[in-house]
Amino acid sequence: MMQTVTLKIDGTPVRAAKGSSVLDAAIECGICIPHLCHVPFLKDTGACRICIVENVRNGGSSVTASCTLTAQEGMVIRTNTEKIQKLRRNIAELLVAQAPNSKAVQDVAVRCGVKEVRYPFRNDNCIQCGRCVRYCTEMWRANALGFVGRGKNRRVEFPFAMRPEFCKNCGSCTLYCPMSVTPCGGPMKRGEESLCGKCESQTVMTPGMIGACVRCDLGKGFQCTRHVL
Amino acid sequence: MRKLEHFEELENLRKKVVAQREKIRSTVIICGGSGCKATRCLSVIDAVKKEIVKQGLGHEVLLRTTGCHGFCEQGPLMVVEPGNFFYGHLTAADAQEIVSSTLKNGEVVDRLLYADPLTGKKIKTEAEIPFYSAQDRQLLKYSKLLDPCSIEDYIAVGGYKALVKTLTGIAPKTVIEEIKSSGLRGRGGGGFPTGRKWAEARSVREDEKYVVCNADEGDPGAYMDRCVLESNPHLVIEGMMIGAWAVGARQGYIYVRNEYPLAVQHTRLAVKKAREFGLLGENILGSPFSFDVDVARGGGAFVCGESTALMTSLEGKVGEPRPKDIHTVKEGLWNKPTVLNNVETWANVPSIIVNGSGWFASKGTRGSKGTKIFALTGQVKNTGLVEIAMGTTLHDIIFKIGGGPKNGKAIKAVQTGGPSGGCLPVSKFEIPVDFDTLYETGSIMGSGGMVVMDEGTCMVDVAKYFLKFLQDESCGKCVPCRVGVDRMLEIVTDIAEGRGRREQISLLQELAETVAETSLCGLGKTAPNPVLSTMRYFADEYAAHVDEKRCPAGVCKELIHYDILAEKCTGCGVCLRSCPYDAIKGEKKKAHAIEEPICRKCGICITECKYDAIAVG
Amino acid sequence: MSMTTIDSILEGRRSQPSQLIEVLQDVQEICGYIPQDAMKTVAKELGVPLMEVYRVVNFYKAFTLKPRGKNVFTICTGTACHVRGSDLLIDQVKGQLKVEPGDTTKDGLFTVECVNCLGACALAPIVVQNGSYLDHMTPGKLRRIIDKTRGAKRKEASDA
Repeated sequence: MMQTVTLKIDGTPVRAAKGSSVLDAAIECGICIPHLCHVPFLKDTGACRICIVENVRNGGSSVTASCTLTAQEGMVIRTNTEKIQKLRRNIAELLVAQAPNSKAVQDVAVRCGVKEVRYPFRNDNCIQCGRCVRYCTEMWRANALGFVGRGKNRRVEFPFAMRPEFCKNCGSCTLYCPMSVTPCGGPMKRGEESLCGKCESQTVMTPGMIGACVRCDLGKGFQCTRHVL
Repeated sequence: MRKLEHFEELENLRKKVVAQREKIRSTVIICGGSGCKATRCLSVIDAVKKEIVKQGLGHEVLLRTTGCHGFCEQGPLMVVEPGNFFYGHLTAADAQEIVSSTLKNGEVVDRLLYADPLTGKKIKTEAEIPFYSAQDRQLLKYSKLLDPCSIEDYIAVGGYKALVKTLTGIAPKTVIEEIKSSGLRGRGGGGFPTGRKWAEARSVREDEKYVVCNADEGDPGAYMDRCVLESNPHLVIEGMMIGAWAVGARQGYIYVRNEYPLAVQHTRLAVKKAREFGLLGENILGSPFSFDVDVARGGGAFVCGESTALMTSLEGKVGEPRPKDIHTVKEGLWNKPTVLNNVETWANVPSIIVNGSGWFASKGTRGSKGTKIFALTGQVKNTGLVEIAMGTTLHDIIFKIGGGPKNGKAIKAVQTGGPSGGCLPVSKFEIPVDFDTLYETGSIMGSGGMVVMDEGTCMVDVAKYFLKFLQDESCGKCVPCRVGVDRMLEIVTDIAEGRGRREQISLLQELAETVAETSLCGLGKTAPNPVLSTMRYFADEYAAHVDEKRCPAGVCKELIHYDILAEKCTGCGVCLRSCPYDAIKGEKKKAHAIEEPICRKCGICITECKYDAIAVG
Repeated sequence: MSMTTIDSILEGRRSQPSQLIEVLQDVQEICGYIPQDAMKTVAKELGVPLMEVYRVVNFYKAFTLKPRGKNVFTICTGTACHVRGSDLLIDQVKGQLKVEPGDTTKDGLFTVECVNCLGACALAPIVVQNGSYLDHMTPGKLRRIIDKTRGAKRKEASDA
């Protein structure tokens, strides 16, 4: 018999397996908390900060990433307050200004309500979500990829920047990379980057059911069809 | 050296070394800390040693080399007892006169005395120097009393008394109650109530627990921990032992940053000596308490001052912080309960045990008890380490102890708390130094760094400086810190270089608030503080840069230009020759001129010109 | 790096992943940098994936991947030093030696590095030359010291 805990997410009582994260608990019962670096079968690191929620306790609330927050009995979580929406939108704006050349990043930006990008666009080809690193390290245990360097110089690299012989050539790193899916309108040239916004035409809205997800393919691509009202 | 097997043996040793000290006729104390080493104190120590022997005083005079006293600006410095004479700015050549006049004849060497910077009057004794007398040097007073490489010295001044008192009659729970009642709060920056932290760790049912000392003092401008470890490492070890007893730990680690080689050396030696004397290891002094400590070096990463990153680094990994939804007192080092405290926090523990929590709590304010060491630096006359009771006002620290402005320019602000802290204007100098007051005013206590800034400091440049620092030191794991700090720097750089736009000010505010709320660890969460505090209190400087493209302090290079004043220029050509960019042209004996686009405003010409003929406009 | 040297560094530390940083610090001290081969040996002997060793070497400033020059000038960029003009010292050295902080001159004579506070703030601005602290530095003083060092090296070379 699996042990469970009961917590409240956006007012809804949710029963979750003991030890699971708040993000997992929410997705299980159809409450979509936007996320980017989370992959169901890989360890969560809390790197992208898109999945932030408010953890209400002791008369106040703290903002924290739901993927690294273990669900506890009696927890009160708010996923979609105005404050969270604003913070999430700002983070998504930072991401799309950094790496607009990815359908996944553009999708998440629209999902989080980004309407304008107030920073000069850059054209990075890595958002350091860590999916490739975690896949290589946790699934294949090849340890051929890792985060090297600090701060602005941090990058994903092979040891000595050369593919080692112990790389299994499985291709998973590319398969799970958000940057491997180009925007619908095609790759953006340097100087011509923009907020795509095309996914608006593909969103399916469910009136009156804020927070409930209509269609979400877990771990497979990033098309999130929910649109923030 | 035989191991001390029982408490009585320690007390007997103490009596012996105290008696030995009382026999010494006079003591020459020379500071051998890192700051004084930089000003070549080793040659002074060597010269004095030779003179003492040469003048036949080898049997009467004890030469004691100590750790940092905290008045580095006066170094190399010396205190002579009896008499308490204080000599500063020494060179090896002074040794002969010091030994013959002061040591032999008890006469003071006037030219070596400290001169009051305001009156010029010479002050004979260390105790009368206002910089020292205005302080309450509970921890720092030990610097001159002991040689950090000697465990006997530490024992002679009362070392390990607190340990004995604890092991012979204070139960762990009671120790925790004492620390709670004292009101001791973490001295590393967080200000978390120490007693509460220990109680939480104690409550976890787990055999393997750890106590860790955070000596990764990374805040630029702060060197309190360097001083304590260089001059009195045993004090910290003793504090950790009492903490370990209280929470149930048997192993401790002292994590010292890589950039403090002398502190590492002295601490490692102290651990070695403590082990030799049986004060570390199995069944200490015959009690059931077993404890050992290891000293680990950092690898050069500011983020490793963050508790989870430090622990990850101790585990031999890259120092990336972990989410703290589960506290490290429950799951810390190797996922075991870990009590991590700052050097100064541990250093305060023995005196609380010996003197009682009431004694400690009698000093300070309601929310901040005891004394705190600050590193007072920047544009102030007396720079150095200042230990004062909590509740002293910023004004008193900066003007009474610091002696006011250094270069004649008016003081404009004080920066506290390092890169996690904020800048406070003169109008706020009346506030007491207190954890909560500083936080409410828009800064933090931090580890104790206090940098005084004058009219020649540009606050936009200060914000840019701290953002650059944090961008360099960010581990890079989470988006708000890695990308957010970078974008904040981009905006502030635009402003500093004359490209700022009005709407960037509000964007900067919003971005700063986002980074503060959503970052994974303390580094990111506090990274916006310098920006937020300078925007709050120095909005006029931001406005000048954005609206008028002007830098009021004359610092931001793109907004200033260097001019040679024709009326003052003698045509000597010194500036022309020293300019690394060949930006100065002129004929001999005729007024020279600086060529605008070539000039990089490096400042060399200004420092070389003897006629004050170069102005910044 | 010779096998005997690395053996003595690894003595008593084999199969202990937590010793990685201490081991690398010893390698850095002896070799002046961390050679690729040393990284591979350390990975094997400590039981740490090579990727992790490479990550640690790149993360901590204490470790360098390339050998340093004969003269290492470390400029402190702490707050007290900044307020007293450390930026001008960096500009001076960049202009004079034509290298960015972290790099070595082509002739291998000079390496310039920056450090975020050495804790000797009362003596700001500080430059460390091969472990010796130089206090109250100005761009002019630094320029002369570098020139002198270069001159001394030239003399050494011509005397030899």
